[in-house]
Amino acid sequence: MNTANILLIERGIIKLVKNPSAPIMGFGMSLFFLLVYNAGIGGIGSMEAFGTGGYLSFVFPITIISLAMGSSAGAGQTLNADMQSGYFKRLFLSPVPRWILVVAPMLADTISSMVFTILLIVIGAIFGVSFQFGFISVLGILLLSFLWSLTLCGFSAGIMLRTGQHQSAAIVTNAVFPLLFLSTTFLPRELISADWLLAVSWGNPVTYILEGNRYLLGGTSSASFFLIGLLLFAITSFISVTFALSSAKKIKV
Amino acid sequence: MTAEILVHELFKKYPNGIEALKGISLEIQKGQFFTLLGPNGAGKSTLVKVMTTLINKDSGDFCIAGINPEINQSKIQKIIGVASQDNEIDPTEKVENLLIFQGRLFGLTKPAAVKRTNELIQLFELEKERNKKAGVLSGGNKRRLHCALALVHRPQILFLDEPTVGMDPVARANFWEVITQLNCKEKVTVFLTTQYLDEADKHAFEMALIVDGKIQYSGTIANFKKMVNPIGELSLDDSYLQFVKALSDQELTNN
Repeated sequence: MNTANILLIERGIIKLVKNPSAPIMGFGMSLFFLLVYNAGIGGIGSMEAFGTGGYLSFVFPITIISLAMGSSAGAGQTLNADMQSGYFKRLFLSPVPRWILVVAPMLADTISSMVFTILLIVIGAIFGVSFQFGFISVLGILLLSFLWSLTLCGFSAGIMLRTGQHQSAAIVTNAVFPLLFLSTTFLPRELISADWLLAVSWGNPVTYILEGNRYLLGGTSSASFFLIGLLLFAITSFISVTFALSSAKKIKV
Repeated sequence: MTAEILVHELFKKYPNGIEALKGISLEIQKGQFFTLLGPNGAGKSTLVKVMTTLINKDSGDFCIAGINPEINQSKIQKIIGVASQDNEIDPTEKVENLLIFQGRLFGLTKPAAVKRTNELIQLFELEKERNKKAGVLSGGNKRRLHCALALVHRPQILFLDEPTVGMDPVARANFWEVITQLNCKEKVTVFLTTQYLDEADKHAFEMALIVDGKIQYSGTIANFKKMVNPIGELSLDDSYLQFVKALSDQELTNN
């Protein structure tokens, strides 16, 4: 990667550090889920269906999901601010590939998401979350988190670029939020009694990131979920980045 | 002499149906101080946007310093500097950082970008503003910064689209001093659009007049004045007004 591209990614990160509302909101939401749900219904973690990791390990993947959900609007906000100030036009006139102008804030957002994911993993480990395969589990979680985060950032940035309104960057978070409740978020599949919910959860992409992470954490799921999750979110990442890049062509300078 | 900017039969129509450029052809020599004049909405900014690769043309050709934009867009961006009507600055960033960042985007090393930043801060008298965020600068200082940003990489060709709008008389005088020096000493080609015809008259040598997407005159400013009023001595301002009025009258008669 050339210097100009790195500079643009660096700039995106500095913007997030200076205006950390999006990643901090995501991190706060994640900690809230982890602490509140564990405190509220953590007692059921002793049931066999939750495996050896207990409820904390079971509910931990939701923190990874909500982290990216909360912070995915950052790239869209950075792009919007540059477009509003006219600075985007100056960047547009620089001898850098135009795709990097859109990808750089998305990567910055994703990198920030990774940093907070590591922080969450450390907090989780301190509070007793188990990692079935040790460091390999951590790497697997980071990989899933990266793809999930990139997926949301891409759609968020793309929608913002098409509508030109910074509020629309949050549409993705709002759209994904219901999916959390249509999956195995709070209970394992064995304990979900409604057939329709079970059926819906099969088609819900969130299920694969939840179960994939659970396989790496408490071992309550199977490797196939992790592998399908990787493939699924690699595809969605590709689609979302393509969507964001095609949306960049709609920008009026 | 080598043509630095060559435009041939350029057409551009916006999605809303407005035909902004209707077969524009121009030839501007290297080191020339050229001005494109015309009423609001005549197509001046559209032409600048096309030539600076901000928007695509519909048909026709143009090349900048012998470079075809369809083959090597980034090479063109490296040799041109653009200061358009609106300030294109990041209001959350400090003046000094913006200039350094701009230099680095154009491939300068960090020490070279810092050195160039210091030169421009001195040239545009922004010393007191160096560590201020761009957003808190006065309107005039924002314009100075905007123009300084266009010069960081020592462009070979400068596109100035109504650059002095919002500048006070002193800032304008300083700005033109910088630009004329670049034009005279460093042989930078200047392509200027402006509504301040006294500025065009004072600094430019060649001009073109665009009305409703078509070039109505192309040549030296002196010849334009002579053409409009062969016997008397009219200013560019008066010559322009007389010419545009005559065009308008002619159009009314034709309709």
